[in-house]
Amino acid sequence: MIKDLTIGQYYPVNSLIHSLDPRFKIVLLVVLLVFTFIADNFFALGLMVAFVLVVMVISKVPFSMYLKNLKIILPILIFTMLLNLFYVADGVVLYEFWVIKITVGGISRSVFMSLRVILLIIISATLTYTTTPNDLTTAIERLCSPLRFIGLGSAVHTMSMMMTIALRFIPTLVEETEKIINAQKARGADFESGKLMQRVKAIIPILIPLLISSVRRAYDLAEAMESRCYNGGKNKTMMKQLKIKNGDIISTIVVIIFCCSIITLNIFF
Amino acid sequence: MMDNIIEIDNLYYSYEDEDNYSAVIEDLNLKIERGSFTVILGHNGSGKSTLAKLLNGLYKPTGGTVKVNGMLTTDEDKEFEIKKTVGMVFQNPDNQLVASVVEEDVAFGPENLGIAPNEIRERVDYALKSVGMYEHKDSSPSRLSGGQKQRVAIAGVIAMKPQCIVLDEPTAMLDPSGRQEVIDTILKLNKEQGITVVLITHFMNEAEFADRVLVMDDGTILDDGKPADIFSKVEFLKKCGLDVPQTTELLYELSKNGFDVSRGIISAEETAEAIAKLF
Amino acid sequence: MSFLRVENLTHIYNQKTTYSRDAVSNVSFTAEKGEIIGVIGHTGSGKSTLIQHLNGLLKPDEGHIYIDGTDIWADPKKIKNFRFKVGLVFQYPEYQLFDETVYDDIAFGPKNMGMSSEEIEKTVNEIILEVGLSKDYLEKSPFDLSGGEKRRVAIAGVLAMKPEIIAFDEPTAGLDPSGRQMVTDIIRNYRDKYNATVIIVSHSMEDIAALADKILVMNKGKLQMYGTPKEVFSKGLELKEIDLSVPQVTTVFDILRKKGFNLPDNVITVDEAVKLLVNLKQEGCTND
Repeated sequence: MIKDLTIGQYYPVNSLIHSLDPRFKIVLLVVLLVFTFIADNFFALGLMVAFVLVVMVISKVPFSMYLKNLKIILPILIFTMLLNLFYVADGVVLYEFWVIKITVGGISRSVFMSLRVILLIIISATLTYTTTPNDLTTAIERLCSPLRFIGLGSAVHTMSMMMTIALRFIPTLVEETEKIINAQKARGADFESGKLMQRVKAIIPILIPLLISSVRRAYDLAEAMESRCYNGGKNKTMMKQLKIKNGDIISTIVVIIFCCSIITLNIFF
Repeated sequence: MMDNIIEIDNLYYSYEDEDNYSAVIEDLNLKIERGSFTVILGHNGSGKSTLAKLLNGLYKPTGGTVKVNGMLTTDEDKEFEIKKTVGMVFQNPDNQLVASVVEEDVAFGPENLGIAPNEIRERVDYALKSVGMYEHKDSSPSRLSGGQKQRVAIAGVIAMKPQCIVLDEPTAMLDPSGRQEVIDTILKLNKEQGITVVLITHFMNEAEFADRVLVMDDGTILDDGKPADIFSKVEFLKKCGLDVPQTTELLYELSKNGFDVSRGIISAEETAEAIAKLF
Repeated sequence: MSFLRVENLTHIYNQKTTYSRDAVSNVSFTAEKGEIIGVIGHTGSGKSTLIQHLNGLLKPDEGHIYIDGTDIWADPKKIKNFRFKVGLVFQYPEYQLFDETVYDDIAFGPKNMGMSSEEIEKTVNEIILEVGLSKDYLEKSPFDLSGGEKRRVAIAGVLAMKPEIIAFDEPTAGLDPSGRQMVTDIIRNYRDKYNATVIIVSHSMEDIAALADKILVMNKGKLQMYGTPKEVFSKGLELKEIDLSVPQVTTVFDILRKKGFNLPDNVITVDEAVKLLVNLKQEGCTND
């Protein structure tokens, strides 16, 4: 149940992808995501698949980990396939029954669309597998920092502070929830049986203590932060400076060449 | 002339939102000498935690003044200067760590002060080494023991280069080994780095190595002296709702039974020696 | 036959869970009705894991727990019955209070047991007095109480189920001396009144010395020692090896013995110590 919850999906190994500057990684992967949509024929998409396969290998994250992600979205995948299979009527009709008409065009479309979904998932998974949640938070804050020129600086800082605190307290609250559940179970509370309404009511003895303790923690944390001179991020510096390395520049060049190839393939086929 | 880092005059404090006015701190006067190790003893609700939060301006006095290095805690321009000078460590180790990586948490204070990145790096490494947590710098706080978390919290204060650290019951939620870790760390910071320490606690044996012990109840200071003088007043300490260690109690009981024994001792070795002298 | 019998209890530490638990391996012991068992051990020695097995919150990977001769896991569907037979008071139990009034919070366990409302009323009115609070408290919100009072209400919530075995995890943690005295009195009174088996996990050797009939010492998931406080605390060296201490007076007497004093190695309370020293002085005087 609750204990199976893991925060982020960081897979700790040393790989080229892991060592990339998180800002570059986010931008490059977003570019890849966009190009998954730009690739509009099987040749371009084929190149895309090949490229993503290479990225997967370089990341040193086992394929089984990627597959786990796909399993979760399997229903969406099947839905995409069926939708395209039944609704695209194009080319030779292979099978027809009542309103259902399966065509060659439909099949190719449904394979194409499923591949796209799979690529999207794998590209996003690469980011979370190879970047710690902390690095992600930092990178997002830095990437958004130009927003301060239009007066959104404190909003960006607030968002990133919220993310930092959330990351810090999720394990604490998970542990606390487990403790409270056990304590109420020890008083005979039943969370597993009964009708829906009963089950919803059964959650109250967990929620209220959790809420109260979170408020208490929030007060404590606020005082602790204030004692450490927190002032909403004004004039704040950062210990960790992100440094651009050769790997980041090379990857950027590789991605640019790749994108040009996709566009070329799009035009020629 | 005595050099005081903290000076408190006629301090009063009461919670604003309370319907019926009741003072938590009443007419308290106190001076803390620079470089000293002061322990404030008191039971839950004696006002000692409130006093702690008044020392760095987290709470503002209802009456009277609190001065840190001559700066009034009510002076808003000096707010950060005061908080930087008097660092605070709180009771619950879980509720005072901000970041999910140890070194980033320690960097939080200096980052807020706008210190240059490479200097923060130096300060963080130094702070983590002084509390013996350097090898855990990349860990997540949720993987640490209570004692380790408190040491990280202390490092977070050290990284701001404070002159004084106020610790509000830092060991109340720890197991005995965690308690020992924290007390050893505090002692080391006081002796080796000359940082003024104000330790607030209800464990009497943590006062053993203090320069000065204060006993608090009902928002005022009832007694103030050297550890040995305070510990010899067993009846008084019990009346203040304090925990008297077995050793201190043993010596007290022996003297009640007509033995002429030195009192106000906490360590087992000294107690044994004092008893041995009787025979 | 013993009322509580734990046989070869083993719990394997599961690394997959985020909330790590300590392993317990091959622990066996028995306890009788009316006994207070103190459990001591370093953090991570498996104490908390052990007591969570007693009411079936955790299922042993190997071994059995018998209560009054019945294996609690003989019929897994009936495990809930043992939640009521074996009460469990967790560390800082006041953080589990949730209901609007003290009455409702204490009544939560009895309600889950299926007690009739008359029975519940009778029980709650009785238990509130047993934890040293007046009946005026029943209508208050538990969140308006002081820390020590909250702790007592939370303990009342478990006592109200009238468990025959009750386990406390660090019942006095974070309390000041008067609060601690109050809680130890509640525990002792409950044992006396209901002849219950009480199990107390604590870090305070002095508290355990004053309260327990027997002490169970855990180390790295294994049962290291099991005996009376005098037996256990006389093995100071062995306890030190596993990072545990003995009561301070025991240490003082150890040092005195090394100095050549003829004193026993199993003194654990101040009263005993004073009596022995007074006697020793008088004997010394008569010998002279």
